[in-house]
Amino acid sequence: MKLSIIKFLVVLGILFFLAPLVLTSLSAGWRWPMLWPAEISWRSWEYLFSGQSQTGIAVFNSLLIACGVTIVNLGLAIPAAYGLIRFPLKGKLIVQIILFAPLVIPPFVSLMGIHFTFIRLGLTESLPGLILAHLTPTLPYMIWALLSSYRTVGPEWEEQARMLGANGLQRMIHVVIPFLLPGILAGSSLSILVSLSQYLITFLIGGGQVITLPILLFPFISGGDPALGAAYALLFIGMAFLALFILDCLLKWSYRRVN
Amino acid sequence: MILRKIFTSVILSVLVALMAGCTSQGQDQEKSQPSEQTTPLEKSWEEISSTAKGKTVSLYMWGGSDSINRYIDEWVAPRLKEQSGVTLKRVPVNDTKDVINQLLTEKKAGKTNGSVDIIWLNGENFKIAKENQLLFGSIAPKLPNVQDYVAMGAPDLQYDFGIDTEGMEVPWGKAQYVFIYDSKHVAEPPKTIDELKDWIKQNPGKFTYPAPPDFTGSAFLRHVLFETSGGYEDFLKPFDQQIMDEKSQAAWAYLNEIKPDLWRKGETYPESLAKLDLLYSQGEVWMTMGYDAARASNEIKKGTFPESTRTFVLDKGTLANAHYLSISFNSAQPDAAMVAINYLLSPEAQIAKFDPRHWGEDMVLEPSKLSTEEQQQINSIDRGVATLPAEALAKHKIPEIHADYVDYLEKEWKTNVAKD
Repeated sequence: MKLSIIKFLVVLGILFFLAPLVLTSLSAGWRWPMLWPAEISWRSWEYLFSGQSQTGIAVFNSLLIACGVTIVNLGLAIPAAYGLIRFPLKGKLIVQIILFAPLVIPPFVSLMGIHFTFIRLGLTESLPGLILAHLTPTLPYMIWALLSSYRTVGPEWEEQARMLGANGLQRMIHVVIPFLLPGILAGSSLSILVSLSQYLITFLIGGGQVITLPILLFPFISGGDPALGAAYALLFIGMAFLALFILDCLLKWSYRRVN
Repeated sequence: MILRKIFTSVILSVLVALMAGCTSQGQDQEKSQPSEQTTPLEKSWEEISSTAKGKTVSLYMWGGSDSINRYIDEWVAPRLKEQSGVTLKRVPVNDTKDVINQLLTEKKAGKTNGSVDIIWLNGENFKIAKENQLLFGSIAPKLPNVQDYVAMGAPDLQYDFGIDTEGMEVPWGKAQYVFIYDSKHVAEPPKTIDELKDWIKQNPGKFTYPAPPDFTGSAFLRHVLFETSGGYEDFLKPFDQQIMDEKSQAAWAYLNEIKPDLWRKGETYPESLAKLDLLYSQGEVWMTMGYDAARASNEIKKGTFPESTRTFVLDKGTLANAHYLSISFNSAQPDAAMVAINYLLSPEAQIAKFDPRHWGEDMVLEPSKLSTEEQQQINSIDRGVATLPAEALAKHKIPEIHADYVDYLEKEWKTNVAKD
């Protein structure tokens, strides 16, 4: 009973913040001091769904990159966090500082160098290049989330499995990973969300040739077309929710299979 | 331990692969550079058009207006494809500076087959692009439509915010400063800055301007400077602090003289053009201004400005600037890019752009150079009651001055006018 009231309030709160976006996306000339838009216009949604607006390919690219980024992140962060927790390492602090540096240092600092290097490597204007470039702002979140999950797995669990004859891979899959699931979920969610919202990295490394949703969205927001900005923002929110929902289902399903 | 070994070997092999890729890429580029030297600037237009067939070019342009986007995607692209076989791909950009940065890095990295073919730019971005040699070259003399219809020598097209275009960019559209007034309250709009002063004194509290460095407010200062110092011509020369200190005295005197009769007695100024427009639409002031000649009509249509809104320009002219199209230094398809730009400057594409149903923006073509049918077509386009006829606007144009003057005026306004 109590839980459903909280749920209800949360949904109400979300709708409260979404309502102005919906109204703005449908309005034509909504200015202070009018309480409601004077006229309803479908202009922004018509444009958004028109064949020329590249909305479909943008959503597809955004999701594809976010998925790719998250998979690579998992591949890098699971061993990295494991190493940081389990092995005595000289200068561990320095390694941690380097791994978490992108959280503190503005991405623009490294972006120019990455862009330069990627041009030499022929990685610009391609999906693999973008996935690699999106690792910079997302990997620290993944490592951070996994580090805290690893702290919940005592080495005793692994020792026991080892004594029962499980090899390294089996211990990883059957013993360690189930403990990590909450961290994987948190890290993947952050990695997806941060990747979805990248503008400058995508524009520079993608060279404008890979269209993602922020590439379409940003000009409308800063260019003063609130109706189209709002319509694209709603689409963005929908896309992010969908991605997180699928991720959640996927992880729950795999958790059940492992056990 | 096994995990660790696997991990180390994976990392090592990735690093080796990256390094191998790096060196081979570098060699490729060195090899391919000399063969790229055949420049379309030496070819005839027929050769350029035939090379262009079947190619795709990317136009990098600000993507914040659905009507402009639609004009390119739905009006221009299909017609260009049909007429010349060139596919035009629009790439939405938030800030043209990002494209300039991209080209700067590409230049440094030696990238030769760039994907930025055409850029839409002006002012500061053109200055950086020109200084860093990010542009393809002097393309204007090659384009038939530029030669036939555009008055390239005109000061408002030749100089892009005080910088000589040298044909490296081709004008695509124009913006001109107009004053907007409510004809219900202003029977006879002023024709000079001096007449404006008289009007302000007779109607205290009904005029103000956006506080510089607002773009529009800053342009108002320039109009005052030009008319109080005897014309804009002196400011096309390189900036000189001493001369400027002298010449600006009359302008500061003028602005301080009108100050007590401004809205709120000049104690405060609207911080942006949007705020001034709001004051105007609510009838608090009777004039506003801005760089878009067709804006007043559009606002009447939207219902924000009163029906009696009209516009005027000064007898000695108002500031006009142009925005341009250019080709990047490393465009992979310079021939097709030239064909596309040439089409964007054709009478049919420019007349469609002029039509408010598509975009509603000023043409860069000389109306007198067009055929009689085309002129009739232009005259039949309804630009709205408040928009001045194209000839009236064209006769009252003055060019933008160098950015150094603009900075100076904005800074000095704070000490000379805003402070008591």
